[in-house]
Amino acid sequence: MTGTRALEVQDVSLRFGALWALTDVSFDVGEGELFAVIGPNGAGKTSLFNLLSRVYDPTAGRIRCFGEDMSGMRPHHLARAGIARTFQNLGLFPHSSVLDNVLAGRVHLMHAGAVRAGLALPSARREEARNRDAAMAAIDETGLGAYALHPVGALPYGLQKRVEIARAIAMEPRLLLLDEPVAGMSRDERGEIVDLVRRLHERTRVAIVLVEHDMSVVMGLAQRVLVLDFGRPICLGTPAEVQSDPHVVRAYLGEPAPGHERGTPGHAEAAP
Amino acid sequence: MTDELLRAPQAPAGSSAPPLGAARDLRLARGRNGRLARRPAALARRLALVVVALGVPFWVDGYWRSTFAFVLIAAIGALGLDVLTGWTGQISLGHAFFLAAGAYVGGYLGGHLHLTAALWIPAAGVAAGILGAVTGPAALRLRGLYLAIVTIGLVYIGYYVLETWTRFSGGPGGESLPPVTFGSWNFANGVTVAGHTFTRSQCYYYLALLLLVLGTGYVRNVGRSNLGRSMVAVRDRELAAAVIGVNVARTKIRAFVISSVLAGIAGALYGSFLSFAVPSDWGLLLSIQYVVMIVVGGMASTWGPLLGALFVVGLPALLQNVSTTLTFLSNNGVISPGSASEVVYGVFLVVFLLVEPGGVVGLARRLTRWVARRSGYPAPRRLAAATEGSPARAGAGAGTDANAADAGPAAE
Amino acid sequence: MTTFVQLLFAGVALGAIYALVALGFTVVYRSSRVINFAQGALLALGAFVTSWLVLTEDLPFWAAFVVGALLTALVGLGFQLGVVRFAIGRPEFTIVMLTLGLAAVIGAVLPTLFGNYPRGNGDVWGSSALHAGSFEFFWVQIWTIVAAVVVLLVYGAFTRFTRYGLAMRSAALDPEAAIAVGIPLRRVYAIAWFIAGAVACVGGVFLGGYPSTVNPTMSNIALLAFPAIILGGLDSPTGAIVGGFAIGVIQELVQGYQPEHAPWLGNDFYLIAPYLVMILVLLIRPYGLFGSKPAERL
Repeated sequence: MTGTRALEVQDVSLRFGALWALTDVSFDVGEGELFAVIGPNGAGKTSLFNLLSRVYDPTAGRIRCFGEDMSGMRPHHLARAGIARTFQNLGLFPHSSVLDNVLAGRVHLMHAGAVRAGLALPSARREEARNRDAAMAAIDETGLGAYALHPVGALPYGLQKRVEIARAIAMEPRLLLLDEPVAGMSRDERGEIVDLVRRLHERTRVAIVLVEHDMSVVMGLAQRVLVLDFGRPICLGTPAEVQSDPHVVRAYLGEPAPGHERGTPGHAEAAP
Repeated sequence: MTDELLRAPQAPAGSSAPPLGAARDLRLARGRNGRLARRPAALARRLALVVVALGVPFWVDGYWRSTFAFVLIAAIGALGLDVLTGWTGQISLGHAFFLAAGAYVGGYLGGHLHLTAALWIPAAGVAAGILGAVTGPAALRLRGLYLAIVTIGLVYIGYYVLETWTRFSGGPGGESLPPVTFGSWNFANGVTVAGHTFTRSQCYYYLALLLLVLGTGYVRNVGRSNLGRSMVAVRDRELAAAVIGVNVARTKIRAFVISSVLAGIAGALYGSFLSFAVPSDWGLLLSIQYVVMIVVGGMASTWGPLLGALFVVGLPALLQNVSTTLTFLSNNGVISPGSASEVVYGVFLVVFLLVEPGGVVGLARRLTRWVARRSGYPAPRRLAAATEGSPARAGAGAGTDANAADAGPAAE
Repeated sequence: MTTFVQLLFAGVALGAIYALVALGFTVVYRSSRVINFAQGALLALGAFVTSWLVLTEDLPFWAAFVVGALLTALVGLGFQLGVVRFAIGRPEFTIVMLTLGLAAVIGAVLPTLFGNYPRGNGDVWGSSALHAGSFEFFWVQIWTIVAAVVVLLVYGAFTRFTRYGLAMRSAALDPEAAIAVGIPLRRVYAIAWFIAGAVACVGGVFLGGYPSTVNPTMSNIALLAFPAIILGGLDSPTGAIVGGFAIGVIQELVQGYQPEHAPWLGNDFYLIAPYLVMILVLLIRPYGLFGSKPAERL
């Protein structure tokens, strides 16, 4: 394996008071790899993302991004480091239009300040136009072209999630963190998002880390999968390996009740 | 792609179809048209506005002339507070502090050092801006209520400094403040241009109008820029803003500086027009009046500051005017015009906050939408409307719910 | 030494009032996350009503006190039911401004109803004092401290030992969970505001005691109580009380010693000393000495 890894997580633990949200988590993600982190609710997936977004500091362990240690970074350094993230609870600005939300992702790429922009100097206007085109490209890619000027707060949930993705694309990241991109969506919507992510990955070869607890979405997209349960890693491998790992099955489906083990008359085949 | 745009797009179930004007707006969004189309109606409206704005001082009597001059001056200050609170979401009850700073610095430079207004008005702005840059970082660590309380403290400290530092402010007895002078023009005596004499009020009116227009243009440009989007981001979801790359600290400080520069300029004009000020003029009530202005007018909107100033400054003037006929409303009557105004401020503040957080501007927008729906036409949607991130513009049903979900430190 | 003890005592008496005001703030804040910027106005309202009842309507002091407290409590309750209730869930800014609106209205109505001049608070102690050696302690100040302590103890017992007290604590911690277990939130909020009004009246009446008066600028005292609650942290009643006494003592000591030792700071430096202390504390600990950083769910 040559070249820097997009993400290296080494022996990371995170504690809130007496609660260990994450314990000894280690994995790495290669450049251009599509990686998934799955686990039941409460497994620590969003905590992991919050660590990666520098909202929290790890209690132990180290995180490196493209070779650079992240412990010195504040949240607003991430964009310049090439990391973009979507939020489970939507980090959108409801009163602003889709276009403005997506453009907000490009703040780290724009330099006109209070003076140049306030006086509407030509250089500022040119920069704004350039970035507007880039934002519209991201908006078109996510199929939101017709809604560019709608206030985001008025859009249905499914479209709002797409705006998040459009904004992340507009940030021109090297590493994209998608936090439950299909949560709360219908089956059709899910399919659309999965296609969108796959197309995006094929086009840009950006490294993607995907947090989900819908197995089917993950299996279709990811090249490798990390499974967390109660903050601990319990399996790391290809989708096929993970799906048949007995520890993973137990974590998702629980222990079979006494008298219901496989092979006994009372046992019913549980769907994966 | 163009064909798709020109046909009304199909909207999925559950969302409102974008109005027909959106197609044209989208072309603008893609930069295909450089400028907004000049529809005759819009042009006529703008012309009428200019005529009214320029003509008012000639059509009204002296009492209302000076009132409107005060309105315009206050609107500049309200514009400043709007940048800080309306755009960036920082609660400040300390606006009086920056207004006072502008008034007394301007007063000192113009009165003691006899500089021309072309120097001391901007200098007042700069001085207030420096104070804003100093207090801004203190605000960084404070959210919501804590910030509000500290800004109250700022007003009291400022008031105390004014009372104590008598050389600068004239102490509790007050000090006279100089009129605006540009070379040989002295506003106090009126200015004669091409044979026509403009009265004192008219001079201040036009100067304030000029500065208000320039200031509004500036704020509008900022609103449509990177900085404006950063401000809205900080206001609406500060943590998410940081994660997508907004430098929250720098944005807040910039908001403080812009806000206090405008307040300094407004304060300098205000003091000069009053021609005399005492420290107690710059207390908490003044700060609250400015908050009422932006709330009632409409936060983060172009017309909000002016409409709010019109309400807050115009109301007591109106009540004073009618107090001769409605005697219960006089200083000797049941309730003084000042107190009555305060009651009305309080009530309007409450009513607007509960019913129409977008202020008068938001009300007007709702009205146009309602009228448009009734007559069957889609409401006109200007590109500007969509790209200014104002709560006054949020679509029906949007806005405060999403905002309420994380209202700063109070949310868990 | 005499001076120091006198100043200290005066500081404790003043601090008792601040503690009461701070308690009024904290009660409302803890239950509904609202800072009532009108607390000072309610304080003035209570003082004016009570003094008017005694001086103009010739009620005996204790009766007037009770009626005044009841009335102020009802005003607080009324404001909650009529206004604040509709703003629950709105951004903080909205609710702050609503309470400021109430403060403005009360501030304008009081001089209109009762006249714009200072007057006594109608209490039974007047300017009488307890003389112990070379010390002189005003009775009204002694009773201020007693009253404050009683109120604080009663409130403490209320929150700890009664159902509604428990309900208020739960509502403060997690309103949604409180609803889920059947706590009548609306009633809890209403009770909180009722208590805040009553407590405000107690503070107001004692604040108007000798050598001070009941006057239209009284409501500003609440603004001086802010440093107290900031020091203690918005969500900690213990902190509010400690903060209140601390600020009172600081203020009196500064008032006593500053003109001699640092006259260049001006005549009434004690008026802003609390604010400077507050700003200093906040720069180091943005959530007060005892307050805690609220968690924000991402």
